[in-house]
Amino acid sequence: MLKRRVGITTKTTAIIVAAIILVVAGGTSAYYLTLPTKPPPGGTVKVGFSISLTGSFNVEGTASLNGMKTATQWLNSNGGIIVNGKSYNITLDYTDDASQTSNIVPLYTKLVQQDNAQFLLAPYSSGLTAAAAPIAEQFGTIMLSHGGSADSIWKQGYKNVFEVLSPASTYLRVAIDWLKANHPSDKLAVIYAGDSFSTTAALAAINYSKAQGFQVVYQSSYPTTVNDVTPQLTAAKSAGADDLLGGGHFNDGLLLAKQLAQVGWTPKFISLLVAVTEPTFQQQLGTAANLVTGPSQWEHTVAYTSDQAKSLGLDWFGPTVAQFTQLYQQVSGGKTPTYHSGEAAGTIFVLARAIQSANSFDTTSVKQVLSSLNFMSFFGQFQVDQTGKQTAHSMVLVQWQNGVLKVVYPTTVAETQPQYPYGA
Amino acid sequence: MRIAGLGVTFFGLLALMLLLLILPFAFPFSTSVILINLLFYTALAYSINFITGMTGYVSFGHVVFLGIGAYALGASADVYGLDPVLGVLLGAALGLVFALMIGLVTLRFRGVYFAISTVVIALAALNIVLELPQLGGSQGIILNLGFQPYSWYYTIWGIVLFEMLITYYINRGKLGLGIRAIKSDEDAARSVGVNVSALKLYLFGLSGLFAGAGGAVFAWTTSGVFPYETFSLNFSLQMLAMIIIGGVGTALGPILGAVVVYLPSYYFLTVAIGTQLIIIGFAVVVIALFIPEGIVGTLKRRSASLRELLE
Amino acid sequence: MVALAVILSDLLFGIMLGCVFAVVAHGLNLIWGVVKVVNIAHGEFIMLGAYGAYFLNVFGGFNPLLSAVVDGALGIFVGYAFYFSFLHRELRGKERITLRSEMVTLVSTFGLSLFMSNLAVVAFTGDFVGINWSPGTVALGFLELPLGALYVTILAVLIISTSVVFLDRTYIGNAIKAYSQDITATQLVGANPTKVASLATALGFSITMAGGALLTVWIPTGINPYMGALYAPISFVIVVLGGPGKMLGSLLGGLTLGVVIDVLQAFVPVSLAYAVAFLLLIPVLLFRPEGIVK
Repeated sequence: MLKRRVGITTKTTAIIVAAIILVVAGGTSAYYLTLPTKPPPGGTVKVGFSISLTGSFNVEGTASLNGMKTATQWLNSNGGIIVNGKSYNITLDYTDDASQTSNIVPLYTKLVQQDNAQFLLAPYSSGLTAAAAPIAEQFGTIMLSHGGSADSIWKQGYKNVFEVLSPASTYLRVAIDWLKANHPSDKLAVIYAGDSFSTTAALAAINYSKAQGFQVVYQSSYPTTVNDVTPQLTAAKSAGADDLLGGGHFNDGLLLAKQLAQVGWTPKFISLLVAVTEPTFQQQLGTAANLVTGPSQWEHTVAYTSDQAKSLGLDWFGPTVAQFTQLYQQVSGGKTPTYHSGEAAGTIFVLARAIQSANSFDTTSVKQVLSSLNFMSFFGQFQVDQTGKQTAHSMVLVQWQNGVLKVVYPTTVAETQPQYPYGA
Repeated sequence: MRIAGLGVTFFGLLALMLLLLILPFAFPFSTSVILINLLFYTALAYSINFITGMTGYVSFGHVVFLGIGAYALGASADVYGLDPVLGVLLGAALGLVFALMIGLVTLRFRGVYFAISTVVIALAALNIVLELPQLGGSQGIILNLGFQPYSWYYTIWGIVLFEMLITYYINRGKLGLGIRAIKSDEDAARSVGVNVSALKLYLFGLSGLFAGAGGAVFAWTTSGVFPYETFSLNFSLQMLAMIIIGGVGTALGPILGAVVVYLPSYYFLTVAIGTQLIIIGFAVVVIALFIPEGIVGTLKRRSASLRELLE
Repeated sequence: MVALAVILSDLLFGIMLGCVFAVVAHGLNLIWGVVKVVNIAHGEFIMLGAYGAYFLNVFGGFNPLLSAVVDGALGIFVGYAFYFSFLHRELRGKERITLRSEMVTLVSTFGLSLFMSNLAVVAFTGDFVGINWSPGTVALGFLELPLGALYVTILAVLIISTSVVFLDRTYIGNAIKAYSQDITATQLVGANPTKVASLATALGFSITMAGGALLTVWIPTGINPYMGALYAPISFVIVVLGGPGKMLGSLLGGLTLGVVIDVLQAFVPVSLAYAVAFLLLIPVLLFRPEGIVK
């Protein structure tokens, strides 16, 4: 057997390569693990969060971030947050979380321990919000949820997590409430996407409608990546349903609306989650979109006003709906705010209002204020129950009428009346 | 100095693990939680290394065991209030059981067919879980097990330690010879008396066990299980990328791959947003075509002295 | 009992769905059967075809059927590029594809799929987009069959039958068939194996990308960078069901899958229907690995 003499150069090269790899790995880690903690400069309050700029929630996350930036800009240029007579600006300290749950714990721990964020906003989506909650709880930092609406988050006993948007279970209530008042003998079909949010909304809708005396003649979920919902629609039609509720996200909502014609079913009333509020819904469907309704946390055409707040005996805080929408268009480069933008921005205003009312940045004082706060902003009302779950903010029902999306219910914030039946 | 049978790699890994053992006491939580994630991905890498790295059977659907482990902990903690550490053991046990059951069927398929069948099983598992309200259905399960960095850390540390030791033991011993024989030519191995089916099943079972344990820890640290996230094929892809880059079948490969793939991700979250997977994909292509043994494997092949040092 | 009307409707839509699945899988079938490699990035090329159709629609007003032709032409070049970058080194001069080559292509195409899907996110953004094309419907009893889906069904069948005829009746087709059976024999009859293999690959990619364009008719806004993750496994199952290399197998596998998925939904929850459809692969591999039909 030949013994090869290995030159010193090969071994040395290998060792150098290994050393380089170790140094690079070590260096990268050291850099991120020990980033110098910047104390908040006097006159600012640091709000920390992660947001989904990439990954499955990148569209919603980007809209949310733009909302937060808009709110921050408005506040900072309108006197900031006043505490003890001094004006404070908000600084947003955020990173992308790539929509990955595994990133949440490290990112939020860093926000609290190294970045010294004074207040936290939750990430987008219930799953990520649930992952961040223990950290807010552990480190005694307040966290406001703008994009996590799963009711079960507020069943876990967290004391520091507060919900600004309406819980998932209430999404379709507006549609059912209107039906109850106008067409209580309609038979319902609930066809919904099999993802966490849509399922929660749909199952809650089924229970709520039954409690209101409705008959749900057909219910079915479908995978979020579905190509073909004709089996569900055919079955619903065959079961004698009058109305269609459900959907999930944009693609399947559009699919539901499109395939109705194919199976020869014209429901009298349609209410679909999420999809309906997108302008492209109407563009893609044309006349088939007319009179389709959908629930929304917020629309830029909604009629929340300070007069309305006054009539309810509430304070109004922040810009008007129009002012927000206009500023948002500047901040986002010409885009119209979606409800993700609205709910995220609303969260900033809730925080600002609470801090100002508490006249302090101290967590205990602000928490106390948040627990009993009851006011209105461009996003709607805010009031939470003792678990932190939102109770006063109401969804709105929107409907496409002749190519324009209108807010139709509740009557207090509506532009006009809903039209019935669909397909007329 | 060489103790018979234990080389530099062994001591190097041991030293690393000892270092990791004391780190949580020296650094703040924000460091420990990053290491927890790193150890989690390392655990996943070692688990897939048992089957894909050692035998060459590419398990694209490996995430199914992660999902089983995650649901084991999630459901037991939510319904029975089971202590999460026991939940991890349950996850490991279920991972093992399912791996053996699935392996009995799928390990008969060679090459590409095995790979595809693992994907199909992962997709089917996702769809089945969606329809099981006992497991939270499509709404998932949200947990509140608190912020427990020490428990998380030492649990996953222990899992990785076991994996390293077992990997090392398998590679070094008689089993290692049989396994390498399977990898180079399965039929020839069978004809010289290697019990191929048993070996493959044994390795697949191990891979399922540790992926299940890792999955349980994942549910624990993220306070919940959601079907689409937990059964996401992304996990399998990352696991594969880690061992391909690090070096398939080796004892060093998985941890090296995990470090290379995972640690820079924080850089990608703040600076070059969205480009991480592009670079990893590119790296995998280049490595597969030109240096298929990955970093460790290629170093071993190219240099005789390193061959002894690295394993 | 579930209404007959429901089952009939499910059957009809299942058939149409199955046909579009079939054409999407057909390119994979061709390459797998001839060159014996499995392209894990198959889904990403479908995605490429779908985006091709989308941009052709946005900038040129092309409808998906027309885009399918353009995509098909583009696919030829893409296929040749793919062959020479990924496969040539592994296949050149070999008599049979080795397990090692199989693994190398499996892993390298896996990396390619990661690369392509995430590059697409950066290039196209993660937004879901779609093509707005509704040529109307045609009445069939109480159903209104969408013409768009009907055209796609016809085209799918056309493409697949053309490939059958092509392989059987043309000289090049015969050479490809010979290659798939015995590489050495191909040389003996005077055909260059590399030319044959690369052509087969090019044709496979051409069909794949055309399939992606046709698929857009079924997904009103489902075009997104990660759509490959759904259609790749579907394609794999279809090819296994039908038998790799059997051209008509694509139709058989596609129809089986489409019908099973849609009809089962009349009886069980949707996700379970999908689970069953996917799991069909296992017994087929166990008992009939050459495909359902001999």
